[in-house]
Amino acid sequence: MNARVVFTLAAVLLAGPSFAQTKGRLNLPEFAALADKASETVTVTLDSNLLGIAARFLSNEDPEQAKAKKLVSSLSGVYVQHFTFETDYAYPKGDIDRVRKQLDAPGWSRIVEARSKKENTNVDVFLLLSGDKVQGLAVIASEPREFTIVNIVGNIDLEQLHDLEGNFSIPKLGIETAKPPASTAAPAKPK
Amino acid sequence: MTELENELRRLLRPVDAPAGFADRVMRSLPEHPKPAAITVLPTPRRSWMQQFGMPTALAASLLAAVLLGQFTAEQRELRAEQRGLEASRELMQALRLTSDKLDIAYQAVQGPPPSDPEENRS
Amino acid sequence: MPETLLMQARAGDRRAFAELVKAHQGSVFSIGLRMLNRRDVAEDLAQDVFLQLYRKLDTIESLQHLGFWLRRVAANLAIDWMRRAPYIATLPLDESADVSAPEADSDPLMSRELTRLLGELAPHPRAVMLLRYQEDRDVAEIAAMLDMPMNTVKSHIKRSLTALRGRMIGAKLIDCEEVP
Repeated sequence: MNARVVFTLAAVLLAGPSFAQTKGRLNLPEFAALADKASETVTVTLDSNLLGIAARFLSNEDPEQAKAKKLVSSLSGVYVQHFTFETDYAYPKGDIDRVRKQLDAPGWSRIVEARSKKENTNVDVFLLLSGDKVQGLAVIASEPREFTIVNIVGNIDLEQLHDLEGNFSIPKLGIETAKPPASTAAPAKPK
Repeated sequence: MTELENELRRLLRPVDAPAGFADRVMRSLPEHPKPAAITVLPTPRRSWMQQFGMPTALAASLLAAVLLGQFTAEQRELRAEQRGLEASRELMQALRLTSDKLDIAYQAVQGPPPSDPEENRS
Repeated sequence: MPETLLMQARAGDRRAFAELVKAHQGSVFSIGLRMLNRRDVAEDLAQDVFLQLYRKLDTIESLQHLGFWLRRVAANLAIDWMRRAPYIATLPLDESADVSAPEADSDPLMSRELTRLLGELAPHPRAVMLLRYQEDRDVAEIAAMLDMPMNTVKSHIKRSLTALRGRMIGAKLIDCEEVP
């Protein structure tokens, strides 16, 4: 495990300024100082051990929990930071931009980039792909009075993610299991 | 959620405790919290120890350690159980937050999804 | 309720402890009342629970843990008392017990019948139903509180609902069409 982490770190450091500890895991700031300013805070840090423990308490009878249990079985981490404030932009945008920068690293593909000028909402959805396997999911959502960073790490089974859609109101992202999603890179110029 | 279950929830909303209940509880509390119940045997006199050739203080310590160990183990189990429950709640909360944000992304890109009879599940 | 209240109670502040009692007395008393069918016995049980809490306060880690602990102890103590004094479980509904929540818009006949039927459930399924529908706890929590497998909790809920539904239909309080 240690050798793998070192290799991953070396590969990532050579490629760019990101420093994931495990493949797919982002280095999230602690935002410790924000907790006092925020009107609502949700911080979830579940590594593989805690995920295993959490899964034990999920019900097989409840459809929502049963599907979550199945999805979680191949994950190695679920990390969420969510803060809500009473005033606009009470959070450090620079820290969020630094998290976005980590997603420039090779392997990560942005599959959704949503900007709403009207509501000043930005949402980016990234997948870390290895062939047709998803090894990481990142969602960064920011509004004037709220931001959310989600990082899910591990072998995210696309079929199971697809299966969850409609249960958690996860929209159908058009992720087909038979082929990888279309690249977000600019298309080659026609000759 | 069926009508029967809704009726059960309505019927079973907690009722008020009798008037003055909290005062009666406070009056019944000891002045100082009782310590955990750990039995400690008295240290015997030297002649008794000499007679049996057994360090009774050691036996007393061992017994106390076993009882304390049981007490500690129970507390540990309870804490582990509570951590597990908290972890499962956090997990569901994290997955719901994720789906909220993915929903926003989807609607921003595609427009509102078609209405789903399964939606609005709590 | 602020987390500091718990910390103050743990530090020996009796006023803080009194606030914790007031915040949870309704739930604890209601569990006792609906398990044991008698207000006086339910009050004794609730007092016992809070006395235990006072002694074990330093083991309570958070307000969430406190809620879990109180309901766990109340439900298990009630089951224990019902076992040791089984006559309590078979007491006729105490007309003055007023075990149901006052609700202006509910059908009094249905409420009364449901109350009676709940009172006929055995201790464990009754505790499961209370934790589910009075305390709004999920299956995993109920299983942990009553030290019961989750499938058993689910079974109790399903069987109790089926039995209740059947009796309500028999008493013509609900229609057959309501059965899913």
